Amino acid sequence: MLEVDNIECRYGKVDVLRKVSLSVGKGEFVALIGANGAGKSTTLKAISGLLPPVGGRITFEGEDITRASARRILEMGIAHCPEGRRVFPYMTVQENLEMGCYRRRDWKHMSDDMDAVFDRFPVLGERRAQAAGTLSGGEQQLLAIGRALMSRPKLVLFDEPSLGLAPNNVQKTFEYIMEINRQGTTVLMVEQNAYAALEMCDRSYLLESGHVSLEGRGDDMIHNPHVQQAYLGMEV
Amino acid sequence: MDQLLQHLLNALILGSTYALLGIGLTFIFGIMRVVNFAHGELYTFGAYMVYLFSVLLGVNFLLSIVIAIVLGIMLGALLEWVLLSRLRGADIDTTMLVMIGAWIIMQNAEQLIWSGVAKSIPMPFPEEPLSVGGVSVAWSRVFVFAVAILLIVGSQTLIQRTRLGKAMRATFQDRDTASLMGININMIYLATFALGSGLAAAAGALLGPIFIVMPTMGNLAVVKAFAIVILGGLGNMKGAALGGFVLALVEELGAGYISSGYRDAMGFLLIILVLMVKPTGLFARTERIG
Repeated sequence: MLEVDNIECRYGKVDVLRKVSLSVGKGEFVALIGANGAGKSTTLKAISGLLPPVGGRITFEGEDITRASARRILEMGIAHCPEGRRVFPYMTVQENLEMGCYRRRDWKHMSDDMDAVFDRFPVLGERRAQAAGTLSGGEQQLLAIGRALMSRPKLVLFDEPSLGLAPNNVQKTFEYIMEINRQGTTVLMVEQNAYAALEMCDRSYLLESGHVSLEGRGDDMIHNPHVQQAYLGMEV
Repeated sequence: MDQLLQHLLNALILGSTYALLGIGLTFIFGIMRVVNFAHGELYTFGAYMVYLFSVLLGVNFLLSIVIAIVLGIMLGALLEWVLLSRLRGADIDTTMLVMIGAWIIMQNAEQLIWSGVAKSIPMPFPEEPLSVGGVSVAWSRVFVFAVAILLIVGSQTLIQRTRLGKAMRATFQDRDTASLMGININMIYLATFALGSGLAAAAGALLGPIFIVMPTMGNLAVVKAFAIVILGGLGNMKGAALGGFVLALVEELGAGYISSGYRDAMGFLLIILVLMVKPTGLFARTERIG
């Protein structure tokens, strides 16, 4: 479904990604793990068009999207749920969800989808007229995920969904993401919480200083000595 | 007492056009981070377009005002497309200098086209003022007030309720995330600058016939627009609207009770005082644009 082929990205003169390749199949749950600064978020930004790569190629369902605009990529079915939630703080919960389906024109189904988010998370429904900035961190994360789903994506990119959340909210967020995946949406998730990510995913990639150093099935990765030592904090 | 009421009424009317100026500038600064020094020239442009259509071409006065506003929107869009769209990501100083250049060019062009002689635009309203309970107000001013309020409410509704307005606010609050939502940021900038310019042209189109029209009329307007925006708290829409009314009130009372020669100085004196006490402006809150 998604093929990332040897992409390179730069911030100014600094190389952040050096020939990163990965692929995500339809319906899969793929995790991207690695340390701070390894280039995980940058990989997602390259895919969603926020930071077009300077080299390499990205294709989605056979179509080249390497230099496509963020808008075009969204319309093709890739939604990006950014790091740190990034809800629009002074807009209401409902307006945030409306922004999520900004490019859709099927008004009838849009309100059904919005109701579905409110049914799934009544707390968001109760606060639909409240500014998103007044929600708790966990609620904001649920809103950010709900907003990403409003475009009815085929593939969702999640960037650090557990970042800065209380443990019970982390659990809730991960359950929601797994549920989305079970319902048929493909997921590519970046996560620092390597153990949780590897447990949840079908396959995963380990990113180290700008390139993919290891890939494999989630449970194989959990048992890999290098991963255990460097990312799972286990003595080997 | 009647005199005070009269001053308050005058302030309300003048304030409505100041609010238009301030809101337009706030749109542009709030969303695009562009300090628009050409704002006063859009104001002048609006006034001259009313002159062109209603006096020179004999078009209906009301229609001339509508045309002036529409042309102001188009001129704003053109400026954005020709100058600012090439400067995305440039720092604020660069765009500021470019807009100062646009200001100088536009003002000289106006001088060239219309000559430096002031023009007046007759308004089709009854001579007899409207008198209510001891205060009287010219019909032309009632008209200006009504149109200005309509435009203020209209632009507020646009920002709060429409799809475009929501996309503008989203862009203002978080540009990258807005583009992830599929919002075309370039289009939003174009629309923002065009709309802000249209409001400035509207203020000029409304005030031009009340005062006189000349190429340098925008100089004081742009300075006052900045004063209003600073007074209201940078980037705050409601603040800009209220700032317009406060400035007009101070000018009106200052001119009436202290000295009419210092009319324009009163406002700036107020700004200095406000900034000494509350450097973020009178109405600065955490919430911005909407």
